[in-house]
Amino acid sequence: MDNINVLIIEDKPSESDALIKGLQANNYTIAGLATNHKDALSLFYNNKVDIVIIDIFLNGLPDGLAFAESINADPNASKPFVFLTSSTDRKIFERAKLTKPFSYLMKPFNELELLYALELAFEKFYAQDDVFLSEEENTVISKEYLFVKKGKLLKKVDISDIIYIEVEEKYCNIITEKEKFVILISLTKILELFDSTVFCRTHRNFIANTKKITEIIPSDNLIILQGNHRVILSDKYKDIINKTYILK
Amino acid sequence: MKVVSKIVIFIFLLFPQLFFSQQNHSAFEKEIIAKSKKIMGESNFNKAQYFFLQKEWDSTLVYSMKQLSIGNQNKEIENFCHFFRGFSFKEKKIFKESKKEFTSISKDFEFFNHSKMLLGQIVLEEKKFKEAINYFQEIEKLHEDELLGIKKSSVKHNLGLCYLHLKEFKKAEHYLLQSIKLEEKQNDSSILVGSYGDIATLYYDQYKDNLAIPYFEKAYHLSKKVKNYQLKQNAALNMAVVEKNRNHFAKALIYREEYDQWKDSLNNQNKIWEVAELEKQFAIKQKQKEVGLLQAENRIKIAERNGFFYSSIVLLLLLGTAVYFYREKIKTNKIILTQKEALDELNDTKDTLFSIVSHDLRSSVNAMKTSNTKLRENLATKNLDELDSLLHQNSAIANGTYNLLDNLLHWVLLQTKQSFFEVTSMRLYFIVELMAYNYLPLISEKNLVFENSVSKKDIVFADQESLKIILRNFLDNAIKFSKENGILKIYTQNTNEDYCELIIEDNGIGMSENTRTSLLKETTLMSKKENAEIIGTGLGMQLCKSMIQKNNGKLDIESELGKGTKIIVSLAKKYHNGQY
Repeated sequence: MDNINVLIIEDKPSESDALIKGLQANNYTIAGLATNHKDALSLFYNNKVDIVIIDIFLNGLPDGLAFAESINADPNASKPFVFLTSSTDRKIFERAKLTKPFSYLMKPFNELELLYALELAFEKFYAQDDVFLSEEENTVISKEYLFVKKGKLLKKVDISDIIYIEVEEKYCNIITEKEKFVILISLTKILELFDSTVFCRTHRNFIANTKKITEIIPSDNLIILQGNHRVILSDKYKDIINKTYILK
Repeated sequence: MKVVSKIVIFIFLLFPQLFFSQQNHSAFEKEIIAKSKKIMGESNFNKAQYFFLQKEWDSTLVYSMKQLSIGNQNKEIENFCHFFRGFSFKEKKIFKESKKEFTSISKDFEFFNHSKMLLGQIVLEEKKFKEAINYFQEIEKLHEDELLGIKKSSVKHNLGLCYLHLKEFKKAEHYLLQSIKLEEKQNDSSILVGSYGDIATLYYDQYKDNLAIPYFEKAYHLSKKVKNYQLKQNAALNMAVVEKNRNHFAKALIYREEYDQWKDSLNNQNKIWEVAELEKQFAIKQKQKEVGLLQAENRIKIAERNGFFYSSIVLLLLLGTAVYFYREKIKTNKIILTQKEALDELNDTKDTLFSIVSHDLRSSVNAMKTSNTKLRENLATKNLDELDSLLHQNSAIANGTYNLLDNLLHWVLLQTKQSFFEVTSMRLYFIVELMAYNYLPLISEKNLVFENSVSKKDIVFADQESLKIILRNFLDNAIKFSKENGILKIYTQNTNEDYCELIIEDNGIGMSENTRTSLLKETTLMSKKENAEIIGTGLGMQLCKSMIQKNNGKLDIESELGKGTKIIVSLAKKYHNGQY
């Protein structure tokens, strides 16, 4: 599991220091700190950023809003973001609301509020509401990553690293090259949100990454994956052989 | 020739006597009335009969025709109609039609004989004397009972006249004498005058002057009793002619004069009539003039009245509008007054708020100042333990002051309606966690047992920031009023379908019933400080109440002095439209 990269756009050092301290204490990685609109854009496009915290007012101007509007305009580049504001000015909020999905953090905030705002931004951005706060799930799925909440911490997992997934009732065992962990998510949601050309069901309880298959042994109903992981191939899902053949 | 003309005059005098002149309620009329009662349904018949009795012949003709044209009805009505029509035609001297109608009456008709009599009269008038004699003789043969009001004398008289015209004097004499006998019994002078005249003429024509003259004289004497000028005139003229023929010129002259006199009086009467007519016309003209004058007057009056009417309407309208505007003015005045009162109240609130807040701030800052002085002294003496406690004290003061200022800011924003307000769904547990996080140091300092047992499943609809402010204030209060080692619990109760009840419970000092009710009372005024040491400005409570209201929630407090307080905030479980 990797840390989440946060880009901070904040002109006041006192504020940004508090932010950085709070984020680092909760295992977030700071991808960069911009103090103006221009820097913010270059940092955003030149770094791997998972989420952006944007102060609405930069040097007295609502440049933060302008930045959010510009990254929102590019659907490929856009990332979740949280507005940081000390104002409850209705006009500003009405404008901010237009930059959907909209989440905000009111200054002054405590550490919990910061984490809560970030989690909310992920949920809203990937349109998977009420995941981190519910007891049934703890993972938000994007195209590239799984964002998993482990205790108080939020982590990400590169989906392409996943070798296979084993389903056990409400839980899913995720097996990557390096590690193995359990997440709370429903199977249907995985099937719905994962790339179906890459991840195929091989058994009622198994989903395999076809790119990680090293060998298929139909006679033994077995698939051997990278790192010598084995998953069962049931008769129902045997057409996976045809797909993998084409892929290879 | 004169003689003939005289005779003609007498004959004509006889005719209209048959049904009406002296027999107003003859059997015939009675019969008709009785009949019409029986035949109530036939409106045309009733009308025809009515007009017949009224002698309005044209109308009688019209309605009887209508009745007949309906067709297919009882024979009796038909006969009556024919009879009405025959009679009417006869009266209008249209003899041909009249005959046609009478002949179409069937024999079984009750008044068949009357129709025969009338037919006889018609032919008599047409000078078809022989035919007339046939009709009259038929009637003459009838028994008295069958006559139904036909006068035997009239029949005989008519017969006599016929024979007279045919120069069959003997027969004529016979009948006329008979009729005179009968008429004398009836004692009707005007008929008798005619009859005497006729018989006299009869004799006179035969040059039986001796027989004729007494009848002429009789007629003359009788005529004096009669009011009819025409009869008097004729009788006198006859006498004049007779006397002249007898060469009694002097007498003839007297009679002639008398004749002239009657003629004159007839003329006079006519003249009088004419004068009367003229006078009448003059009077009518006069009246018309008066009427014209009155009409003109009336017109003027109406014009005046209308003028008055319109002007009064205009005045009323003016009055109405004036009253309307006056009322509007009063209304606006009232509104302005209430607004002024509200403004005054708000201003008062603001002033109190200012004084309280500034007082609080001053004392806080002052405490900080003295604490800072102490801090410096202790730093100089390097008394580290004391330093630590002073710093804690300072941060507590700063915290309190910050909360006060924050409340003040939100209060102002709420009053000016500038703040952002968006109702969303949220999990209550996390909001409580977020707010409690700020108070964890204070809680541990007081050594309180804190427990957030709100279910993670509880979802409420509210504005996040205002809900945070509400929670922060109630938590702040709960901690403030808790004793060391107290218990602070936050939990929910889901007894209501629409509301989730969030309960913040402490076992602190509690409050009196008076304080409780005054806190819950809806007022914009700040509650006065009771315990300056502990109780704050009241601004927090006021702010919470307003915000709960804005979130469509409810607030309740349960408390007991010395035992603790329960703050119950009811929040909507469902999204409410409007109000937000």
